[in-house]
Amino acid sequence: MTLTVLLSSPADYLPVAIMFVVAMGFVLTTIFVTHLLGPNRKSKIKLDSFECGIESKDNARVPFSIKYFLIAILFVLFDVEIIFMYPWAVNFLDMGMEGFLKMLIFLGLLFNRLLYILKKGALKWE
Amino acid sequence: MNTIVTIAGLGILSMLSEIFHFKKQLFVLILLGLAAAIGISVMEWDTAYSYYNHMVLIDNYAIAFSVLLMSVTLLWFLMSQSYFKSESSMEAHAAIILFALCGAICMTCFSDLSMLFIGLEILSISMYVLCGSDKLNKRSNESAMKYFMMGAFATGFLLFGIALIYGVVGSFNLTDIATYTGQNVNNLPMIFYAGIVLLLVGLFFKVSAAPFHFWAPDVYDGAPTVITAFMATVVKTAAFAAFYRLFATCFSSVFTFWIDIIAIVAALTMLAGNILAVYQTSVKRMLAYSSVAHAGYILMALAAVSQSSKGAIFLYLIAYSLSTLGVFAVLNIIHEKKLSDDVSVFNGLAKSNPLAAAMISICMLSMAGIPPMAGFFGKYYIFLAALNSGFTWLVLMAVLSSLIGVFYYFRIVMAMYTGKNETTAFEIKGLPLFFLVLSGVLSVIIGLGTNFIVNLL
Repeated sequence: MTLTVLLSSPADYLPVAIMFVVAMGFVLTTIFVTHLLGPNRKSKIKLDSFECGIESKDNARVPFSIKYFLIAILFVLFDVEIIFMYPWAVNFLDMGMEGFLKMLIFLGLLFNRLLYILKKGALKWE
Repeated sequence: MNTIVTIAGLGILSMLSEIFHFKKQLFVLILLGLAAAIGISVMEWDTAYSYYNHMVLIDNYAIAFSVLLMSVTLLWFLMSQSYFKSESSMEAHAAIILFALCGAICMTCFSDLSMLFIGLEILSISMYVLCGSDKLNKRSNESAMKYFMMGAFATGFLLFGIALIYGVVGSFNLTDIATYTGQNVNNLPMIFYAGIVLLLVGLFFKVSAAPFHFWAPDVYDGAPTVITAFMATVVKTAAFAAFYRLFATCFSSVFTFWIDIIAIVAALTMLAGNILAVYQTSVKRMLAYSSVAHAGYILMALAAVSQSSKGAIFLYLIAYSLSTLGVFAVLNIIHEKKLSDDVSVFNGLAKSNPLAAAMISICMLSMAGIPPMAGFFGKYYIFLAALNSGFTWLVLMAVLSSLIGVFYYFRIVMAMYTGKNETTAFEIKGLPLFFLVLSGVLSVIIGLGTNFIVNLL
């Protein structure tokens, strides 16, 4: 334990404070200045949430099938798990056989879950 | 370490049972697997060994608590057999319970703050799911939502605390933190103490100590009864095991800072839990408040920071888990019949089923702390530890709130023995009756062998 505690004084946080002021200032200035400079036309079309040539219709809050949600969440799960393969691939040679076996176990568990999902019928669309 | 692997393997096996069609044998497999894991764990006794770059340390403390957790889970599986029969996706529930047990065991054997966090999250996330597992019941959904919201918030506090401690010490390792604090007792920066307080807040929430207990009654009440039983026993045991391990090893050199906080919270928790329990009409809700009160008693042993508090906490948790499981086995039968769990439902049980009534009484007396049940000795050793550390006021408060506790535990006993009814609307027979007798008898037997258990650690 050769770690020493760096005692910090409030002055050390000055850059953070300046950054905060700059960030807030930029946002506030742009909002304020656009109000001053821009022409002020208020019509129904101008106030629409999407004003890009295509007429908007209906409410955004329509019910949609829960299956989309399930598939999206499963995609995210498997996508995130696969990220573990990148650091493993980079260090593949250093980790040797042990690393390979560990990855096999991991992929085996992942495959087990995929089988489970298929068996449970989570991906059936009907 | 092997126990964690065994139990995780069992969890995966439960998921595989859906794919390879051996659901029928799964229940027996889980019981055998848990028994094997308990055996493996006991074999490792007296061989303190550290795994994974010192992230996991299997010492006697870890083994004792893991064996307790696994035994309680084993009993829990026996108790909730009927629940698994009625459930369509039984193997998923079994898998989640086993993964939760994995997390709980990680919380007993961590020697690294990141491992504590991992264990806590594995346990908590499994519990969030299980609370909402009665999908069509609004109360169950509410309980899952509340637990998740509050739990996530508390985890934030815990993480922030870990981050601050790391910021000062530069290590997650418990021994490193302990050495560092030991060497720099007098010039620790303020943020170190802030870290301790944040850790305390996170853990107080997990053990449902006042004033962080508001989630407990609603969550316990809304969750399916067997899941509530699991939460009240396994989750609480794991949280206290982690709490003691963390504070007794890491921060023992700055104990003057945190024992007063814990003592005050303990007093508040005991009083709040016991007083609020008196006003409950639903037995399940009453037990939820009583579990809050029990958390208060165990916190007393934490505040005592003596060599004897380890054994006292262990004994108390055994006694508490046993009687809680016994009572919840009965509540489960009542809820399966869709009866209201008002105290009056117990009216006349002593006439229709004297054995069951006697066993429920034993469980209640054990919880109330009446000799010679195990619960009494649990309280006795905790009070002794607190007295030896000079917390006389705290012990007085505890005795006072125990008296309040006796009042509401006896309400059920009174209903069973003096109720006018000849029969009850529910029947206790078969496995639940066996289970009830088991927990009653064990409560008495453990009451006889307390010396052995307390000196084990």
